[in-house]
Amino acid sequence: MSYNILVPGPITQDLIIACMDEISKRTDTGGHSCFIGQVRADNISGKSVVAIEYSAYKKMVKSEADQIIKMIRSEFKDVKSILILHSLGVVRAGEISLFVLVSAGHRQHAIQACSKTVEMIKEKLPVWKKEIFEDNSHEWKQNNLA
Amino acid sequence: MVIKVLFFGVLAEVTKTSLKYYNNVISFGDLRLRIQDDFPEIVHYNFRISVNNEIINDDPVLNDGDEIALLPPFSGG
Repeated sequence: MSYNILVPGPITQDLIIACMDEISKRTDTGGHSCFIGQVRADNISGKSVVAIEYSAYKKMVKSEADQIIKMIRSEFKDVKSILILHSLGVVRAGEISLFVLVSAGHRQHAIQACSKTVEMIKEKLPVWKKEIFEDNSHEWKQNNLA
Repeated sequence: MVIKVLFFGVLAEVTKTSLKYYNNVISFGDLRLRIQDDFPEIVHYNFRISVNNEIINDDPVLNDGDEIALLPPFSGG
């Protein structure tokens, strides 16, 4: 399945359903693990986050995601596919900005590989998050790595 | 040589620039000084540097047409 990792705006239910359709075509997998990242309405110094604006170094996102997938697949031989969708542009609080789906022969490998994929995305994907507050002010965020 | 320099995240905001070409670049050190001269505010920010999509730790040898990017700490997900 060939697809673009970066999705303009929020990741919609339709996109997630399309991913589910894709896995239903497989017969070599016994477990799928997914992670859904959602924009949280954090309250920072009395102001609520209403949206996040994501920007990215698109070319490097592609090469880094390829590297992440290669590293995960070499560590977890049972993994059959890894799918990553990440938002670009504005995503409002409550909407989905990251979807990761890892398919494996067995559940333990799917769950472990999905968790590790999400951590590597946070660490390695050249994506930047600008939190936008209700008064239209903003703040640039930095990931806390596990 | 000509080097393409990209600015991302907070650095694009503070420099009001996402892309700038530098002509007659002699070396990475020369380029670094010219970027700092043009955008002195960037010294207040943390960032890493990539050359043609690869993050580098040491000063690289540059080639004509290389693409340099100034990368603030990532915050995807």
